[in-house]
Amino acid sequence: MSDIGESDAPPPRAGLRRTDGESLLFWTLPAAAIIWVSAFLLFPGFTPPLSPTLSADQVAAFYRDPHNLPRIRYSMILFNWFGVCLVPILVLLVMQIRRMAHRTPIFSYCMLGCVAGGPTLFLIANICWLLAAFRPERNPELTQLYNDFAWITFTSQVPFLIAQCVILAAAIYFDNPTGLVLKRWVAHFNVLVAAALVPAAFTGLALSGPLAWNGTLSFWLKNIAIAVWIVVMGVVLGQAIYRERDQRALPEEQQVAG
Amino acid sequence: MNTLATRTASPLAWYARQNPKRELWLAWGTLVVFYIFFGVVFFVLTRTQPPPSPAWDSRKVVQWFQDNHSGILIGFAIMFVITGMTTMSNALIAYSMRRMSVSPAFGYTYLILYSLSAIPGMLLMCIALTVGALRPDRDPELITWTYDFAFLSFIGTMGVFLIGSLVWMLAILIDKNRVFPKWFGYLNLCNALTEIVVSPAWIFRRGVLAWNGQIAWWLNMVVFAIYTGVFIFLLRQLIQREDFGTGPLPNLAPKAAR
Repeated sequence: MSDIGESDAPPPRAGLRRTDGESLLFWTLPAAAIIWVSAFLLFPGFTPPLSPTLSADQVAAFYRDPHNLPRIRYSMILFNWFGVCLVPILVLLVMQIRRMAHRTPIFSYCMLGCVAGGPTLFLIANICWLLAAFRPERNPELTQLYNDFAWITFTSQVPFLIAQCVILAAAIYFDNPTGLVLKRWVAHFNVLVAAALVPAAFTGLALSGPLAWNGTLSFWLKNIAIAVWIVVMGVVLGQAIYRERDQRALPEEQQVAG
Repeated sequence: MNTLATRTASPLAWYARQNPKRELWLAWGTLVVFYIFFGVVFFVLTRTQPPPSPAWDSRKVVQWFQDNHSGILIGFAIMFVITGMTTMSNALIAYSMRRMSVSPAFGYTYLILYSLSAIPGMLLMCIALTVGALRPDRDPELITWTYDFAFLSFIGTMGVFLIGSLVWMLAILIDKNRVFPKWFGYLNLCNALTEIVVSPAWIFRRGVLAWNGQIAWWLNMVVFAIYTGVFIFLLRQLIQREDFGTGPLPNLAPKAAR
């Protein structure tokens, strides 16, 4: 029992390379990233991040503002559509973990367990923002409650993002050092990103200062760390997929010829 | 399995580098550490276990939030950092089913069910109580709303654990590789049945069937604690017995029992 399905599956059909579809999935990342950045800039609550010290009436006024309301809705609908585009990318990372020299499929199982967690938690925040915007004339206390749920969920829900980084780092550390699938520095980088995400978990403790949901640590450090992770891991993953495809191309052509 | 020299030089380093079971031990250790944190956060820091009463009026609920303000915010922040550790536990249990003579479908079903369970079964409660504790001056009616949301989502999320335990039970009972003793299969049934008896917590606000009642909570918690203790012990034995084969798992050699 080496890996997921590996021992049970019949050999792949000749001429069909596993890596072909993978590069296709991989190239959805730049498109998704552009949409994410656009939606991020479109949402008026992020530029600048809404302060947690606003009163209920001020929060309600934010949603009632005719300039803000359509931007809140459209940006969050975009996030609702495309936020989950991270899933195929994470699954591609699972495929790389499966190539590593491990004795058991533990790390790929862990990564699979994380894949849906981050996007699902983000969707909960997304739904709360959209709900707050659905009836802005609602009692301001209720709008504030939705707004708090959205921001607390968005900011503090880093558990699976931290786990992804730590699991990937551990998987690399446990790989065979003489033939690493992903380089050592990728592991160190992931540990660093995981550490940068930790303060955001504590955002409930402060309504102002660096820990508050609009603060240096909870908003800027966390979101910049996620953005850097997506860019760096995108490049690393792309290189790994193309390297794997080149490695596989040769023996398979020989197989077909023979 | 490599050189004897490295083994004698530093046993711990050898263990981390060369032990063929290191991935399994890492998962097992993470599982134990997670349950220790879980116990400390829920029973000591946040005082959410044993749960406060669903019969309280909103004045008492607000008082409860005030009394436990820092504990709730710090305790759940810790959970937001470490919840990803559950993926290691789920991966190890899924692995135990892959080692059995049963279809991989069992392991995968369990992995998905339990990966999904973290959000409705725990994180939603942590988010709702964090939001509830965030603004002590919020309308008491709304604070009580977060209180109900928290405890009912935590205690009333049943299906994932019910079906998950039954899947594990079925795999153990039909397994021919003797991965677990058959009586542990029936202990899974006990755990599954507790998920049935908590269901009245959605209906009753006081008495033995309420969310803090002798049946819905105490019975549930006692069975869950025994079940968790037993499977931690049995998973440890599984790793000690593991021979990375596909046939029946060998018995523990009396001398190697450490």
